[in-house]
Amino acid sequence: MSRTYVEIAGRSLPLSNLEKDLYPSYGFTKAAILEYYRRIAPFILPHLQGRALTLKRYPGGVEKEFFFEKRCPAHRPAWVSTAEVVHHNGEPMMMCVVSDLETLLWAGNLAALELHVPLSRAGSPQTPDSLVFDLDPGDGAGIPECTRVALILRDLLFQMGLASYVKTSGQKGLHVLVPLNSKDTTFDDTKTFSRAVAGIMERHYPDLVTSKMAKNERIGKVFINWSQNDASKTMICVYSLRAREKPFVSFPLEWKELEDLDGQGDRESLQVVHSEAVRRAEAKGDLFREVLVKEQKLPHL
Amino acid sequence: MASGTIWKGIIHFGETDIPVKLHTAVREERIQFHLLHEPDLARLRQQLICALEKRPVSADEQSRGFEAGEGRYILLDPEELEQTVPESDRRIEVHEFVKTSRIDPHFLDRVYYLEPDVQAKGYAPLAEALKELDAAGICTWTMRKRSYFGALQASGKVLRLNTLRYADEVVSVRSLDLQSAPLTDKELAIGSELIEKLTAPFEPRKYENEHQRKLQAMIDKKARGENIVVLSPRRLKPTEPDNLLQVLEASLKKVA
Amino acid sequence: MAVQGIWNGTIGFSLVAIPVRVVTAVVPGHVSFHLLHSKDYSRLERKMYCPADERMVTPEEIIRGYEVLPGKYIPLTDEELESVSPERSRTIEIIEFIDMKDVDPIYYDHPYYLVPSKGGEKAYQLLAEVMARTKKAGLAKFVLAEREHLVAITSKDGALALTTLHYSDEVLPDGEMSPAKGAAESGEVARMKKSIENMMKDFDPGKYADGRRKKIMDLLEAKVKEKALVDAPAMTEKEEEGPADLVAALEESMRKVKVKEGR
Repeated sequence: MSRTYVEIAGRSLPLSNLEKDLYPSYGFTKAAILEYYRRIAPFILPHLQGRALTLKRYPGGVEKEFFFEKRCPAHRPAWVSTAEVVHHNGEPMMMCVVSDLETLLWAGNLAALELHVPLSRAGSPQTPDSLVFDLDPGDGAGIPECTRVALILRDLLFQMGLASYVKTSGQKGLHVLVPLNSKDTTFDDTKTFSRAVAGIMERHYPDLVTSKMAKNERIGKVFINWSQNDASKTMICVYSLRAREKPFVSFPLEWKELEDLDGQGDRESLQVVHSEAVRRAEAKGDLFREVLVKEQKLPHL
Repeated sequence: MASGTIWKGIIHFGETDIPVKLHTAVREERIQFHLLHEPDLARLRQQLICALEKRPVSADEQSRGFEAGEGRYILLDPEELEQTVPESDRRIEVHEFVKTSRIDPHFLDRVYYLEPDVQAKGYAPLAEALKELDAAGICTWTMRKRSYFGALQASGKVLRLNTLRYADEVVSVRSLDLQSAPLTDKELAIGSELIEKLTAPFEPRKYENEHQRKLQAMIDKKARGENIVVLSPRRLKPTEPDNLLQVLEASLKKVA
Repeated sequence: MAVQGIWNGTIGFSLVAIPVRVVTAVVPGHVSFHLLHSKDYSRLERKMYCPADERMVTPEEIIRGYEVLPGKYIPLTDEELESVSPERSRTIEIIEFIDMKDVDPIYYDHPYYLVPSKGGEKAYQLLAEVMARTKKAGLAKFVLAEREHLVAITSKDGALALTTLHYSDEVLPDGEMSPAKGAAESGEVARMKKSIENMMKDFDPGKYADGRRKKIMDLLEAKVKEKALVDAPAMTEKEEEGPADLVAALEESMRKVKVKEGR
């Protein structure tokens, strides 16, 4: 096994198998992945900060097996921050928290291509910082349907006095986030609110939207998954790579991009690959910074 | 013996009466799951909740209704329903005989083995006659408060009773509304040849329920606290209609 | 309207792959009743209740578990269950073809139909047609609802049918079931054959109806004539909509959205 040491901020980080191609049909080595995360670090780190990280590891690349690792690996370097989190079986567990470049690259070196985080911070696990609508097109639906649902959702939330932000999931769908950043909002609140919104969308657009989990309910429609608003759930972090055939990124979009695309667009037209992600983030800055700071209160609860 | 007697009846047709005992012929084994509440892993219980009051309703506060229109019900009390239970005279009445091959397999439901009861002297000749004629007796009987429709058949020296689904329970192909697509003679010829080449005798013992074994192994692994490797389901890429002939030819080359 | 499938995926034989849905081939005919609350005739709904939290839980909070020790469960996610046989959860791969007449009907479990998904019509029809011509059935394994089934794919009136088969170890032996005495006496067999032949007809299942079902329907009809109907109370609040204020505000906002955008 080839091993390289890099020194960051006085810390020595061993990197292995850098030449291993983890996206074989596209051609994207571990070295390229680490380079992506190094370049995107200024944008992704604020979104990982303080959150218990679930590593989705692809040691053999995206076409091979993966596993979720919630427990922070025991063989971690001493400088990797951790947080104690109560696991759903009631037992405490140490999870990794990424707050600096070296920890981000260490995770990348574990082939943790996908970085998943909860909607709350480790210090206040029952307080969501934002509310999310996970728009997931079923079989027979795609980007055009998803775009349309996202735009209606944005308008509806706007009428309710709420600003929302959109990113690609990096897979088939879109994520619409409503920043809250308020200490007195609970997951019960976000769940009640998002479920009511999903219900009303479904009633007004029955041919376009479903709020039902059942897979056969989703055919030709966009599933608004509101149940992600739960302390036990994690979401793909904005700017994280996805383990697809190409290194797509869960990337923030401007609403205007969706408006321009409304009513057209093919399946991949909204996808952002690694190089474009770096270029766009460096040019435009973090389009998701408001998600971390904007304070909003859910009305009528 | 396969299993205990579940019911006793008498096969009847013409002048013939053959007392028999029914035994289960198939026993399924599968891993049982329970439903848990995800955050605390507590075992969930099913409750009946009143849609209006949103509270659990005990058994003595429940009625049974048949929905006659939206929100309109015909109530049936248990005594009334009991009146509809058919009387059982233990008779398995054979109405007619048919060629076994004429029975649409979609009608076949459960199989019971029949064991001759005392004084069942017609059992062996009936089994032999059904086998020689490749025939099945179409019969009806009442067992455990239900009316059954079935086929009496022979397998070796043993009689079997195969319950049949009622005609209105079987969906016809016509209702699938399939569209037809033109096929060329060449496609059909190569397709047929391919199937002939891939044909083998049916040997059910070759196939075991590997999944059950793998599932148990996965559960054991998880019980030990090990990480579970999650694999994505594999989907095959559908063959394009225009490439069908090519793919068939390639398949044939592969098996040749 | 297209039939909704209970499964969708691909059926493959050799190098050919056909996108299909699995639909049911039988519908239960029994008369179905609803349980009502005796007091107000409102419907009773089956809900899952968590004794630890003392509340009803939503479907999203439910996970399956395997009991390893009394009261101790290992939770299993859908993804984990699906990954036990990932190659079989979305693909029905025909392993070999067989003569269906070699299959003892005791192996038959449950029948389904396959219907082609978009783009699969031609290959579907080809497989149905050549299986009918060669009188063969395909043998495959696939996973439906966490169970792996051995299945026979057959051709039926131009359609592909899928019948789940029992595993050989599920079929109990029928030994010791036949009469103790040796072969049947030939005169008896001949007499039996004669009476069978006299009663020989074609299979006509439509002649037979469920007697119990008919009695129930007669009873219901009589009660309708007596006008013995009850009405369930109108629901003031629709299920799980959310707080009334919120729903009203959302409705109002949605109205504005639709007006503004002309949607």
